[in-house]
Amino acid sequence: MNAFFRKLSWLGRRPSKEDELHAELQFHLDEEAEERQAQGLANEEARRAARRDLGNVTLVQENTRATWGWTLLEQLGQDLRYAFRTMAANRLFTLLAVVSLALGIGANTAIYSFMDAILLRSLPVADPESLVVLNWHAKTTGPDFVMHGMSGSSYDDSSGITTGIFPFPAYELFRKNDAVFSIVFAHYPSWQVRSMNLVAKGQAGIAAGWMVSGDYFRGLGVLPTVGRLINPDDDRPGVPAVAVVSYAFSQRRFGGAANAAGQPIQIDNLPFTVVGVTPPEFFGVDPAETPDVYLPMHTNELLGAGNQFGFRPERYLDDHYYWVHIMGRLRPGVSIAQAQAALAPAFHQWVASTAANERQRANLPELMVKEGAGGLETLRRRYSKPLYVLMTMVGLVLALTCANVANLLLSRAAARRREIALRMSVGAGRFRIVRQLLTESVLLASLGGAMGVLSAIWGIRFLTLLLANGRTNFTLHANLNWHVLGAAVALSLLTGVLFGLAPALQATRVDVMPALKETRAGQLAARHSFRRISLSHLLVVGQIAISLLMLVAAGLFVRTLSNLQSIELGFTRENVLLFQLDARKAGHQDPEIAAFYGELRRRFNAIPGVRDASLSEDSLIEAGTGLPLSVAGAQPNPHNRILSVGPAFFGTMQIPILAGRDIEERDRPGSPGVAVINEVFAKANFGNRNPLGQHLILGPTEEGGLTTRDMEIVGVSKNARYGGLTNDIPPVVYMPYNQGFPRPDAMVYALRTSGDPLRYINSVRETVRQADARVPVSEIRSQAADIDRTINQEITFAELCSGFAILALVIACVGLYGTVSYNVARRTGEIGIRMALGAQSGRVVWMVLREVCVLAAVGLAISVPTALATSKLVGSFLFGMKPNDPVSLTLAVVILLMAAILAGYMPARKASRIDPMIALRNE
Amino acid sequence: MSPKPPTRVELLQGTLDLLILRTLLAGPSHGHAIAKHIQRTSEELLQVETGSLYPALHRLEAQGWIAASWELSDKGKRAKYYRLTPRGRKQLASEQSKWQAFARAMGLVLKPADQEAE
Repeated sequence: MNAFFRKLSWLGRRPSKEDELHAELQFHLDEEAEERQAQGLANEEARRAARRDLGNVTLVQENTRATWGWTLLEQLGQDLRYAFRTMAANRLFTLLAVVSLALGIGANTAIYSFMDAILLRSLPVADPESLVVLNWHAKTTGPDFVMHGMSGSSYDDSSGITTGIFPFPAYELFRKNDAVFSIVFAHYPSWQVRSMNLVAKGQAGIAAGWMVSGDYFRGLGVLPTVGRLINPDDDRPGVPAVAVVSYAFSQRRFGGAANAAGQPIQIDNLPFTVVGVTPPEFFGVDPAETPDVYLPMHTNELLGAGNQFGFRPERYLDDHYYWVHIMGRLRPGVSIAQAQAALAPAFHQWVASTAANERQRANLPELMVKEGAGGLETLRRRYSKPLYVLMTMVGLVLALTCANVANLLLSRAAARRREIALRMSVGAGRFRIVRQLLTESVLLASLGGAMGVLSAIWGIRFLTLLLANGRTNFTLHANLNWHVLGAAVALSLLTGVLFGLAPALQATRVDVMPALKETRAGQLAARHSFRRISLSHLLVVGQIAISLLMLVAAGLFVRTLSNLQSIELGFTRENVLLFQLDARKAGHQDPEIAAFYGELRRRFNAIPGVRDASLSEDSLIEAGTGLPLSVAGAQPNPHNRILSVGPAFFGTMQIPILAGRDIEERDRPGSPGVAVINEVFAKANFGNRNPLGQHLILGPTEEGGLTTRDMEIVGVSKNARYGGLTNDIPPVVYMPYNQGFPRPDAMVYALRTSGDPLRYINSVRETVRQADARVPVSEIRSQAADIDRTINQEITFAELCSGFAILALVIACVGLYGTVSYNVARRTGEIGIRMALGAQSGRVVWMVLREVCVLAAVGLAISVPTALATSKLVGSFLFGMKPNDPVSLTLAVVILLMAAILAGYMPARKASRIDPMIALRNE
Repeated sequence: MSPKPPTRVELLQGTLDLLILRTLLAGPSHGHAIAKHIQRTSEELLQVETGSLYPALHRLEAQGWIAASWELSDKGKRAKYYRLTPRGRKQLASEQSKWQAFARAMGLVLKPADQEAE
């Protein structure tokens, strides 16, 4: 290592080193000569003898220099200089190669950085490898299942249901197991704190919270940046309510982490004290989220007390209510398999004891211990498959790029055959020339890679924007880091060697004599030209095949998107502004809150340009409330859905009323209960009978103690989408938000505006501020954006895949153009003779185009069956069509053929304009 | 028949480094003087080729076993003087013991052959 650095430092003073060596040898000669003179030789003779004695001075210098360790470096320097010169001499070639490489490498780096962030990266906590997440799996969950209620998410697939939520007593069971775990902790994203009204320093705002057990931070090994974190003493009923805030939140709301600790805050009107700040890099255990505030789990009793659907303390004892996420840290030396073997029977035994009958015992949840280094799987589940698809696509783009650059290098190498033959004939080794050619390609790739990283930075931003699609709280922790940069560098070098090696090996496989005998414009020896052509043709065919695959994919995704966008909504999506208000969290209470909401609706209606205003508990596309509801005298149907709405809801959304009337101002607290049903509900419950005047009964619910609500059906509306774009429209009952249970919490207002709805944001904020400054306005979006948000993945796929497909097509066409042009240039003489003998220019064009068509046909022959076979893989991303969609396939083939012919036509036309005289003179 | 002693012996591969290091143990010296010293002390048996002396010196310098500086020679001319570094001294000690072990081993093996020839 020392020797290496010494040599490196010598490198810097190379000229003086040269001089020194010269002086040193000169001194030696002088000494030797003097000595000989002393022995009695004449001056001149002594010098000659000394020189004779020393031998070949240049050789001595050369050998000495070799010990400086620079030979390889020097040769590299020579190669680099030469490479730069050739690159500068072929600007267009260099530009094409570098730009296409930059796009290829950039796209790969950008997608890889998302993979890194979503699929590969560990949580920024101490020793993430020893963390595990507990999940369970069951074949079905029905009425006969040990879980009677849940709060959290689960994933259903063909094998059943998988989820990470447990009853609290199960958490206590795991906590007792200290043979496997060194620590066990729990947490859950209570719906009530996911979006809470937080007042800090007198200012209200929406904040995202997360409930954690007292051992959570100790279990993760996270240390506070300021103050302290939540400890087990904070997580008890009755103790002072504390909160820990994230670093970013402390910056945003307190002007710095140091100012946050000790500050009183109000969460949903309850007093809390901020005791500390988490480290900047910490984002909890779910990579999909960035909580602003962490609260001790037992504060859910405080927060739940004021809410009709809030948390109830008895749930801590309930064996059948599933809600807490459990994570643990394995003891050193305990593997996940060992943990699984030890814990699964214990859990099985416990859960069996909660089963009420044999049917429940036959279908018990089975414990699954999963590695927890990456945190919860939310993002991985959602994005891993799309990311693999995208990664495949960008991988194909890069393959295309490599093929293209290899092709360009190949035709250049062919043009340089004479030069290479000359170098070999004067004694350059084949390895040395291959090395030099490889230096060129790696240099190209490195330039491409450097630009690729730049375009990746841009690409990551673009992708984040695309994926977030208007969500302001979108948190993907994707960025360039050493992983990603390392991958990009490796990729650049690999591509450099890959696309450089074949042409380099081929270029040096020349017979020196025939190559040197060729004329400058000359013909190539038939054998070599055949081999070269075959390789470059192979590359073009491969490019065409890959391009077609990508075009087909793009076609499928674009058509999926257009199918989604042409779904009949049942309401008018344009010119509606949506935003959410939560007056309850700002301190409004029943029954005043309903009046407050009603008054606000009237004020919004009065904003100039607002044609209609209404409100509902959720936007139509995000709705999803099910409460026991039945036609008077019948059993409640669990498929029934409800939506609490305000006056003029159908008018505002422009949902046609088929019979009866809209909800109106006169439907108020105290007036007779009313409801509007949709067609599905009418058909399912009344068939051909007239539903108007019939009565519906809501409640009682299992939450208990709530009076039932009796409603008369006053209207039947046309079907409108409810709770999603692609699912079947359920039977829906629309009922006034202010006529009893459920009482209004957060409400989503809808304003139908003239012109761009987003122009009205300021007026809305001002109106709310005047009404009550404590109520924050959140989730402002147009209805179009609200709908697009649900098909975000499809939109992203369609946009990215079209982009990639166009890129692929352009790259393939450039490759085709280059190959054909090169062949035309090579055959200038032949074409000249043909034309001199009377060939029409049309015939010449056809002669060249025939080659293109053959290449395209071979490419298609390979790729069409491949497309048919592989499009099944993306089947789950498609909507309203089969994977083997003939329209997409036909369109892709037509586009590809047209592009190929266009790319071939330009050189073909050039060929047809060859002047026979000039062409022949060159011979 | 015992062979006549040759006028010159070829240097064995790798021994030049050892000789240079040993020579510098006496004190700093320039290339020419090192060559002469080796020749003299070996009773002119060892001839140091200039063609390999200078590469060897530079190699040893790169290894950090010797260090060089430009000084005035006793005749008042600027010359590049090499001297042993502490690391070089250690290297010399280890090389020397290796060489001695090697020479002894060679001697042991070759001795019976000599006796048989006599």
